[in-house]
Amino acid sequence: MTEESLTGPLAPEDVTSDSLFTLPGFFDALAEGQLLAARCMDCGTHLMPPRPACYGCGSRAVEIEEQPQTGTVVSYTAVYRPPSPFADLAPVTVAVVELDSGARLAGRVTAPLEAVEIGSAVELRVRDPAEVGIDPEMHLSYEEEWPVHEFALR
Amino acid sequence: MPQAHIATVGTSPVGRTDLPGRDLFSRALAEAFEGLPDPAEVVDAVYVGAQSERYENQIMQGTLLAEWAGLNNCPAERVEACAAAGALALKNAVRDVRAGVHDAVLACGVEKMTAGGTEGATNALAAAFERALEQRSGITAPSQYALLARRYLHETDATEEDLAQIAVKNHRNAAANPRAMFDHEVDVETVLESDPVAPPLKLYDCAPVSDGSAAVLVANPETVADLGTEAVEVAGVGTAANTLAVAERDLTYVEGAEVAAGRAYDEAGVEPADVDVAEVHDAFTVCEALLAEAAGFAPEGTGVETVREPGERSSGWTDVRVNTSGGLKARGHPIGATGLFQAVEAYEQLTGRAGDRQVQDADTALLVNEGGLADAHTAAHVLRRAGR
Repeated sequence: MTEESLTGPLAPEDVTSDSLFTLPGFFDALAEGQLLAARCMDCGTHLMPPRPACYGCGSRAVEIEEQPQTGTVVSYTAVYRPPSPFADLAPVTVAVVELDSGARLAGRVTAPLEAVEIGSAVELRVRDPAEVGIDPEMHLSYEEEWPVHEFALR
Repeated sequence: MPQAHIATVGTSPVGRTDLPGRDLFSRALAEAFEGLPDPAEVVDAVYVGAQSERYENQIMQGTLLAEWAGLNNCPAERVEACAAAGALALKNAVRDVRAGVHDAVLACGVEKMTAGGTEGATNALAAAFERALEQRSGITAPSQYALLARRYLHETDATEEDLAQIAVKNHRNAAANPRAMFDHEVDVETVLESDPVAPPLKLYDCAPVSDGSAAVLVANPETVADLGTEAVEVAGVGTAANTLAVAERDLTYVEGAEVAAGRAYDEAGVEPADVDVAEVHDAFTVCEALLAEAAGFAPEGTGVETVREPGERSSGWTDVRVNTSGGLKARGHPIGATGLFQAVEAYEQLTGRAGDRQVQDADTALLVNEGGLADAHTAAHVLRRAGR
């Protein structure tokens, strides 16, 4: 992929499965340990996963920006009856996390509900879904190689 | 531009029933057309709100329900925005009548949620949320709303007991509504001590899994006059879509609902203070508080005061009565039909047919129907007593 394809507006030929603005590109980078967002060059909004246009202002002048993997909990809960592929993980603690860049990402937290509070410091982990205990039946064909993310208290 | 009026309404029972979706629709249609000509003589088009094909392994509900109504080669289609599907059917019907494309359009909704058990409903509803990062983290509908509730309780003075009081109020209202799923009142201790679903939300903070169908006939004034029914005007329509992912949201402000309600108010030429009765999408108790604020009824952080009598609310509150039907919580929440159950309640309030829950002199109603996480999709309508 070319340098130009790291910033929008995207040309049609830029929208391929190795573009970081597509889900396959995003998850390939995540599997390599990089958490990526698109950043609007006009208004600064973070967009995760990256996509070709800014929801904040509508601009297509977006660029890929690597995100920090530490942040704090904005809100949290526990899923007592999760969807069936997650049954073995119940109860599943989940949170909305604000990363140190200001971008937000929701995900599982690897701690019991009682150990989490608003403001808890967390860090991102990238995992193989099978190791986590998520039923592989859940995966769509194109998701089979994608990692999942989770947060650990730090 | 012709006005769009609601000419007649009907519903099935709500709750766990032995009727499949199409038969629930037949119940709703039979009530709506009781004493009227055959639907085939009246209905020019059909929109069906239906959330998911997972429940009955059936899409094409437009075709199916038009067929079951005896409508030969009728324009008929399903619309979907999760739980906002019913109000989208109403919106499409209103737009067609106003545009003069059709004289009368049937807006209906149906959901057979109990068909796959609790697990089936959980999985079908989870499909309404963002797939790549959030579904793959194990989220559910209650947990998405719990993230809003937790933050709301953190940022405002509201407490878990305040949210519980919303469930208590809606059960009380439902007990006066013959269409409601629940006919029993609950006390605040029952709500607070009910099983945790996704803390701080408990079982009684959550609308139930329900079967049900509702049908609303939208027609121009000439058709209403021919039918000889009592009508209410659909004076304003507004919709808006916000983000799918919870991570992208302001967790305590349902902006999309404010935008959609604002569009409906503007079209109707009314202000929030003009609204006498409102049916807002209380899929979870916190939603009623958030929507009271977004609809302009309540100052920020005071939305839980929907439970108080108008004279006892904080300064800046309007006198609106919220969820006189019992709301999604206690009237029931058959997803694709819910927006039309809201319209049925407003029709009954504005035509003086609301029985023991009648709000005196009600002449303007707001409906706010949402789909996905809160305002992922909002469809709002302003209804007005006809002839005003």
